[in-house]
Amino acid sequence: MSSENRNICNSKTFEYIYNTYAKDIRRFLFFKTQDINKAEDLMQDVFIKLWDNCGKVDYDKVKSYMFSIANNMFLNLVKHEKVVHEYSKISKKGTTNESPEFIMLENEFMEKLERTMTNLPEKQREVFLLNRIEKKKYKEIAEQLGISVKAVEKRMHQALVTLRKEIGNI
Amino acid sequence: MEKTNLHTDSETFLAQWLAGELTDKELKDLVSEADYVAFLKLKKGLDISEQLNASTDDSFAKIQNRISRKTTKVRPLNTRWAIGIAASIIVLLGVFSFLNTSEINVVTGYGEQKTIALLDGTEVILNANSRLIYDEDNWDNERKLSLEGEAYFKVTKGETFVVETEHGSVTVLGTQFNVNAAKNYFDVVCYEGKVGVKTYDSEHILLPEDGVRKVDGYHVEHPAITDKMPTWIHGESTFKSVPLYQVIKALEDQYQIRFDTDYINRTEIFTGSFPHDSLDIALKTVFQTLNISYNEKEKRNIKLRYKE
Repeated sequence: MSSENRNICNSKTFEYIYNTYAKDIRRFLFFKTQDINKAEDLMQDVFIKLWDNCGKVDYDKVKSYMFSIANNMFLNLVKHEKVVHEYSKISKKGTTNESPEFIMLENEFMEKLERTMTNLPEKQREVFLLNRIEKKKYKEIAEQLGISVKAVEKRMHQALVTLRKEIGNI
Repeated sequence: MEKTNLHTDSETFLAQWLAGELTDKELKDLVSEADYVAFLKLKKGLDISEQLNASTDDSFAKIQNRISRKTTKVRPLNTRWAIGIAASIIVLLGVFSFLNTSEINVVTGYGEQKTIALLDGTEVILNANSRLIYDEDNWDNERKLSLEGEAYFKVTKGETFVVETEHGSVTVLGTQFNVNAAKNYFDVVCYEGKVGVKTYDSEHILLPEDGVRKVDGYHVEHPAITDKMPTWIHGESTFKSVPLYQVIKALEDQYQIRFDTDYINRTEIFTGSFPHDSLDIALKTVFQTLNISYNEKEKRNIKLRYKE
């Protein structure tokens, strides 16, 4: 690899770093903020900041540099939001422990969920992935696989039961 | 609470709920409290998982957009502002040129060697036509320097000492070693202590008399090391199983000459040495054994050909 490839100010190198780490950073920021939109915005800010400082950052340390920038940006956001909350007295009575926006998704939970998903029994997994990844409706899946809609629904139901069982109460 | 929902089937209701055909409230009546919370979390987890794994290509376009907007935003300044900014840049540059004197850049010319004593007592001998850069102010925090060309290091014990080159980095604690980082050639030899070498495709730990060598990006076996120190320090360059172009480069660096190598096999393997104080003897020792003739056509430009 030539030294030019290790120069972060080189747009190809920058893009390579982006492709390597963007998802990891977004994921990291999601677990901090618990808000996918904020995670997405901050992730973009992290890369803008990396670009601004491209001449100062050592290629070998770029990963840890970006993660500490991400963490700082998250902390700044918290600080900012605290200030905003103090001035706007919006009561949050609408939310309870059960409302979806209140549910914390921890890193361990997500990892376990994703692992369990790929380890579902073959028939359940097939239907589950067609529905969740390819966004197919039950009816479309039924036609594709040549089974009844009811059978598709049964498999989906089973998949959820399996996930619930495997993941337990975390 | 009434459970009169006729179209819920105990074998499929979760599927219906996930598809939005059944509300959260309806689900709540069908399962236990603990299950209800767990399923809500599962559903949210599934949605988020999808978004976490979604492509980031669109965002990259946005980032590029923001970067280009940033640079164009500066343009529509009126002149008074622009003059003010230009003036402060000049002032800042002035300040920085005073503050930023800590980067040391040592360069050797043809045939030149320099011995450099670093702040911690480390000794570096820089061979001909090489360059060494380090940050004097930051030396206490990080013993790190970058090298183009060849140098011998006698490192004082202490924190990690790092030599960065085009081919990778060499890390040590306290030891004596030689690094030769030329364009297509990378060679590290450990003479004392322990040396860590990290190239883009490999990692090595070298003990005394160990070496690692890369030619044209490929690892080659390092020949045995018998000297206690690289010989170039004492006015002689020694080569063991080295491609000829590397020897030619060393001659060029040492004697400030150019070789015309169009008619010879530059990759032939050479073992031998040449002195630094006599070009005649150097040329004779290198090229006579290879049956190559050398003619100084113009001044300092030597044409190499195989003898008839």
